[in-house]
Amino acid sequence: MMDHDEQLKIQAYLDGELSETEAREVAIWLAQDQDAGVLLAELRNTRQGLAGYEQPVQLPESREFFWSKIEREILRQESPQTAPQIVPWWIAWRRLLMPVGGTAALVLAALIAGGLLGGSGRPAMETAAADTGALTYRDDDGGNTLVWLSYPAENEFAESQPASTLQ
Amino acid sequence: MSEKDHSSADDPALVRAAQSGDMAAFEELVARHRDKIYGRAYSMMRNEEEAIDLSQEAWVKGWQRFKQFQGEASFGTWMTRIVINLCLDQLRKQKRQRTESIEAMDEESGGVERQMPVVTANPTAGLERAETRQRIDRALSQLSHEHRTVLVLHEFEEMEYKEIARTMGCSIGTVMSRLFYARRKMAVLLADMKKEGLR
Repeated sequence: MMDHDEQLKIQAYLDGELSETEAREVAIWLAQDQDAGVLLAELRNTRQGLAGYEQPVQLPESREFFWSKIEREILRQESPQTAPQIVPWWIAWRRLLMPVGGTAALVLAALIAGGLLGGSGRPAMETAAADTGALTYRDDDGGNTLVWLSYPAENEFAESQPASTLQ
Repeated sequence: MSEKDHSSADDPALVRAAQSGDMAAFEELVARHRDKIYGRAYSMMRNEEEAIDLSQEAWVKGWQRFKQFQGEASFGTWMTRIVINLCLDQLRKQKRQRTESIEAMDEESGGVERQMPVVTANPTAGLERAETRQRIDRALSQLSHEHRTVLVLHEFEEMEYKEIARTMGCSIGTVMSRLFYARRKMAVLLADMKKEGLR
């Protein structure tokens, strides 16, 4: 019985994939070995059976419809949304620096609000969280604190109560 | 160039026009070769919908890569290579998704085909052309993707072992094995069909 390499050699001989020397050797072997000759005949029959006998098929769509899909896809892929845009370097830099500048402004604002730059000696104006109608002015250096109360109070609680209850 | 001119122009002239951006010339090329491109996709995928989608994708790619086409092969051959590569990519994706069965692995290694007795009579001898084509088509549909692809590329696209190996991304040895088992299985399937036909 032939081994697999021998079987493949017969096939390569049939397909013309062997060198001239190898092909001569295989031809001699095929003439002497009946099994090898039978296998060659089977492979040849299959090969000849296939050659030129591919089932012809037709695209089951009309020319116009098929082309319209292709054209649409080509145009879609070539549209400006998908096409890479060439951006001048100064615009690219501006795009890069704008978020950096924004972040720096936010940090600065946070520092000012936190009193890190202003120091504790400066007077401060505050709005009481509990009562948005009250405004406080505090001057630590002078030791003064002034509180303004709006009357009638402009808050939710005051609006829901009759004026008499506040008096 | 008007559309009437396109229909009478030969492929190289249409290719030149399309390469310079003439879409009407490209449309004429699509019309001329669409059945061949679809047919190749269908022979590999065995699924009408997939074959339509892949052949359409091939045409879009063809347009986008037109600058790369130097005319070393015919336009039809160049387009066929594009659709073959797309089909192979799709088959690889599908293979990754499905679990390999023991049967499929056995088929890949040729375990079953190695034991099959040699078919001595020519199974397509004496058949009408249409009948032969039908039987070959039926037999091809029963092969695994790997075996069918290698057979299609060798017998229908007339590629050499080396070219098939490069296209499929495997060794020449694998191509030879797959081709051998594909042919052996085809011989048995065609012989069985002949027996059924005689009954």
